[in-house]
Amino acid sequence: MDKKDKEFLKRIQETFRIEAEEHLHAFSAGLIELEKTPSKEKVAEIIEVMFREIHSLKGAARSVDQKDIEYVCQPLESIFSSLKRGEITLSPLSFDLFYKTVEWLSKHIVISGSEQTDVFRQTRQELINRLKEMVSGKYFSTLIQEPSATDIEIPCLPQSDITPVTEPGVDLQGNIANTQVVMARIPMSKLDPLLFQAEEMIQAKMAINQQTGELKRLSDELNEWKTETQKWRSRKAAATPELWNELCDNSDMRLNKVEGRITEIISSMERHQHSLDRLVNDHLDAMKQVLMLPVGSLVETFPGMVRKISHEQNKEIDFIISGTELEIDKRILEELKDPLIHLIRNSIDHGIGKPQERILKNKPVRGNITLAFAAKESGQVEITLADDGKGIDKEHILKAAIKSGIISNEYAGKLEPKEVLNLIYQSGVSTSSIITDISGHGLGLSIVQEKVLKLNGKISVESEENAGTTFRILLPMTLATFRGILVMLQEFMFILPTTNVERVMKVEKEDIKTVENHETIRIDDQIISVADLGEVLGLPEHKHAGQGKMEPGSANSNQIRIVVLVSGEDRIAFKVDDLVDEQQVLVKGLGKLLRRVRNISGATILGSGKVVPVLNIPDLMKSAVKTKERKSEVSAGVLFVPKPGKILVAEDSITSRTLIKNILETAGYQVTTSVDGADAFTKARTGDFDIIVSDVDMPKMNGFELTAKIRSDKKLNEIPVVLVTALESREDCEHGIEVGADAYIIKSSFDQTNLLEIIKKLI
Amino acid sequence: MNEMKKEIRIKLKNRAIAMALEPVQKRTTSATIGVIAFTLAAETYAIESVFVREVYPLKDFTPLPGVPSYIFGIINVRGQILPVVDLKKFFNLPEKGLGDLNRVIILYDDQMEFGILADVVHGTQDIELEDILTVPPTVTGIGEEYLKGVTKERLIVLNAKRLLSDKSIVVNEEAN
Repeated sequence: MDKKDKEFLKRIQETFRIEAEEHLHAFSAGLIELEKTPSKEKVAEIIEVMFREIHSLKGAARSVDQKDIEYVCQPLESIFSSLKRGEITLSPLSFDLFYKTVEWLSKHIVISGSEQTDVFRQTRQELINRLKEMVSGKYFSTLIQEPSATDIEIPCLPQSDITPVTEPGVDLQGNIANTQVVMARIPMSKLDPLLFQAEEMIQAKMAINQQTGELKRLSDELNEWKTETQKWRSRKAAATPELWNELCDNSDMRLNKVEGRITEIISSMERHQHSLDRLVNDHLDAMKQVLMLPVGSLVETFPGMVRKISHEQNKEIDFIISGTELEIDKRILEELKDPLIHLIRNSIDHGIGKPQERILKNKPVRGNITLAFAAKESGQVEITLADDGKGIDKEHILKAAIKSGIISNEYAGKLEPKEVLNLIYQSGVSTSSIITDISGHGLGLSIVQEKVLKLNGKISVESEENAGTTFRILLPMTLATFRGILVMLQEFMFILPTTNVERVMKVEKEDIKTVENHETIRIDDQIISVADLGEVLGLPEHKHAGQGKMEPGSANSNQIRIVVLVSGEDRIAFKVDDLVDEQQVLVKGLGKLLRRVRNISGATILGSGKVVPVLNIPDLMKSAVKTKERKSEVSAGVLFVPKPGKILVAEDSITSRTLIKNILETAGYQVTTSVDGADAFTKARTGDFDIIVSDVDMPKMNGFELTAKIRSDKKLNEIPVVLVTALESREDCEHGIEVGADAYIIKSSFDQTNLLEIIKKLI
Repeated sequence: MNEMKKEIRIKLKNRAIAMALEPVQKRTTSATIGVIAFTLAAETYAIESVFVREVYPLKDFTPLPGVPSYIFGIINVRGQILPVVDLKKFFNLPEKGLGDLNRVIILYDDQMEFGILADVVHGTQDIELEDILTVPPTVTGIGEEYLKGVTKERLIVLNAKRLLSDKSIVVNEEAN
């Protein structure tokens, strides 16, 4: 086979794979429906569909010469043909074989002749034999008599990893697995608006081009005016009343013209902004619709998994799924998969007992697990996973929690039954007394809870001994457009996700009570812990947060701003300096270098271009608890005593400014910064400083000018001035001394101790 | 007549341009690498230009709380958020001076991307591989693994590939 042929074959196999997956997908969906034992007419309808699917799959397999698939489809097709004619009927046990067949088919639709192993051939033959037995009606009797002897060992899915149909992790032929793409089916009706909106964006683009052009013309006009004014200035000497009038008239004319154009541009931009707003919102909505996928795409592999695990444990379980047609955001579905698989495994593993145990407890031999998806008002979905098993042993949980040190012995006695159940989310507490391969490690439920919280959902559990356990998960159906509250801490800004903010409020300082080193506040008759957001984040400590900008003499200085954050069951009130705004936020990653940063989930860019970190609330809650523990460990003896000394820093480069500020603050000084000489001079006049540290090369007023100005000012002439500069020439140094600087430090020879020593000497 | 004057002028001009050009140096047979030279705290470094996406002026930056000290902060590069590394801190070099720190050199390969701080960027130049000498770490204070070597002009050539693939530079913290 030459290369071209090979490529063609590969392509055609890929096409076949996609088609086959679709048929199998529809077939599995039919199985799920059938298991719910619908009405007779419905059954006939479903069987008809399934028959057609399997028939098409057989045909497709034949056309690409996939004989193995074809041979397995053949008896399956016969079964459905018999079912159609009513010659045989379904029983719970026949589903078993169907699921196994689907599993086998989805596993092997990519294998071509040469890679087959003996095991493969053997399992294929066994499958075919059993399907054939079923057609002839012999199946049930033989299976019941010797279930394990004919049980098919399918050499595929490792139990820790259930592979969905859409991501075949076929390692038997790695090269094909690599080229496979995860696919989603999207109805055309959802795609049409997208194209339409994309086309509309061209208009928005053109409008911006035009407006930029307008603004450029306006700028040209202003330049022209400037040149003209220059000319007038040069004729100043010859100014006569007539010329003066002419100048005024000219100016008026120009001014009116420019004003008119600006008004025009503003109104046109406002129009466009309006339509762009609408366009972007529509587009976002349409895109969200595209990402909504039916629940069925998530759960199609679950029945097979339940069958497999229950078989291994010799348990008999009916697994019913409902609400599969409900549409949920694809990103939520993906996140849901692992938690659901975990909960289902838990139910099988230590919920449902073995048949003998169930008989002893007067329960039906077959256990029941239901997974229901239901739409709730306000755009939420409720997922209920219920079993009629043993229920959670509360005594056992209490013991485990005490043993792993999560709660104390005496505390355990005070807990309500519901509170005991909530302990299962703690890592280290397992609901199982035996550790198996599948569960019992006591880690799973804490991960499940973390995932649900991450999706801004809630999880609750009810359990009654010998009656069963029900997990309820409440989740949003779409990922809401992220909204955030912008808060200030010192000079830093942070975004708090609005969904986690319960309320923001101002409280009196006295309302915060300290009990055993823990600050708390009473809100609506509930006692909530109080934490300092700056302290929890580890910001340099230079004043207490929560007091806002201290305006001297203001009556508000006794008030503290707090934000009550919630995450799952936790509520903590955080002190902040100031609240700026609530706004829509586009959260971006921090880059490949910062894979995970504690307390920070990403960052956003404000309209001004400023980058602001977005805080990770579950992390923050944990950090707050840690900070408290640390605080109560450290005795109150270590207190930071700032050295006296107020310093004014003048520096135009933001980085140098920040560095100098940090060095000085670390040394205990109080630092005020200014961005150039003029700014520094104003601040020096109004403030009260012990020393001024200034850069030389600055816009508006340079360091030499600033020094000279300070020396000639009555109020300021005593203040020491340190010049820090990149200029290294001797003349400059002399110039510095000439204007009255007390010290002159060259940046390239600058070092921290040097600066600090000089300052210490001068103050 | 006018035509001729014009022609002469053009010829003279071309000759002037040709003479103003610097003579092309004869290349030796040795292979060269293109580097970008920059100053950071009174030392001059060079980094291979194939790993440099761009040099970006540092106008504003956002520090992050709770990250290692060598993470200077994050910046906005045309809508993309990019972390910036202070190599001085990363290499544990003594704080020798306070530079201007107003440039960010953005390093990248297919796995990683981040900026490094620089005071002044001097532009690109070619270095012959033969001229890069290995030196003991005591000379530069930087671990051997991060260095390609030092040239005769005492240009310290950093190993960009090593920096980009360095696991210890990646921040991956668990929630307490």
